[in-house]
Amino acid sequence: MRLRLLVALLALSSPLLPGAPARAGENVWSGLVVATNVTNPKPPPPPMHRLTRTLEHTFGYNQFELIGQSRKTLESGEENWLAASKHFSLHVDAQGAMPDGYRLKLELFQDREILLETDATLSKSSPLVIKGPQIGSGQLLLLLVVQ
Amino acid sequence: MKTFEEKWTAWVDGRLNEAERTEFEASLQDRAVAEAEKRQTLKLGALLKEQLQPRPMGNEEFFHHQLLARIEAESGEPAAASTTTAGVLAQARESWWTIRRLLWTGATSLAVFTVCAWFVMREKPAPDQSQYLTQILNAKVDPNVSPYATVSIFQTNQDRVTVLWVDGLKSLPPEYAAK
Repeated sequence: MRLRLLVALLALSSPLLPGAPARAGENVWSGLVVATNVTNPKPPPPPMHRLTRTLEHTFGYNQFELIGQSRKTLESGEENWLAASKHFSLHVDAQGAMPDGYRLKLELFQDREILLETDATLSKSSPLVIKGPQIGSGQLLLLLVVQ
Repeated sequence: MKTFEEKWTAWVDGRLNEAERTEFEASLQDRAVAEAEKRQTLKLGALLKEQLQPRPMGNEEFFHHQLLARIEAESGEPAAASTTTAGVLAQARESWWTIRRLLWTGATSLAVFTVCAWFVMREKPAPDQSQYLTQILNAKVDPNVSPYATVSIFQTNQDRVTVLWVDGLKSLPPEYAAK
């Protein structure tokens, strides 16, 4: 009985301890997007709603079309997954949870050829956008967001 | 055969049956005096019962503790030497950690910890904002595939977006936008 009370008190105090790593069970959304300028732009897909204005302002396009996506729930923070379209694929290798996000290794492939490799710490409060190659009159963008 | 005193006591206490009571009351010389005496006796009994209750001890644990300390001091040897006293001491130690005291101790410790934590956190300098932004640790483009590619990194003011801006990748035809 008394031991249980002590355990309960310790459990109550644990949320006060600083430096807790990112919680498991969070979703990371990865998207391959082609940005273009058109007369009547289609609305962006739901995962991009809150970023649309920033993307328009940063890249100068008014339509963002999703050509591939993946949503991964991280349990251990060490999963890997692929977001792919017909010609492009983004391989994401999570390498552990950080205090405010995840350490990721990213590889962008065009068909079987690797275009770009990067290591990043993806923060929960800060999405990542990668400007890829020009496609026709548009632009390939890669997006990663912790949801 | 009951004596008069036994019958009197039983009558006062109301323990006679109907026949005995009638017989006993008929044998009384002065019924009114006897009834008055019975009332007085009952009243006295009630008063004694009320007044002779043992007084509840206000601070029983403290009293026990003081008593044990005094026994130890007077005997000049630890009370643990005696099995009985050891048992009492163990009981005293055991009983000191009551649920209420344990709760108070826990709550007080938690409060002290919270206050200390608050002071420590308050004195900590404001964390660098970049700690909470996505960081690009390195970026590499295959020089054989894209020899003129350059990489730059910046953060947007709005939405705290980190942008890895890669220029110089080979342009592709529109078919590459297929899903």
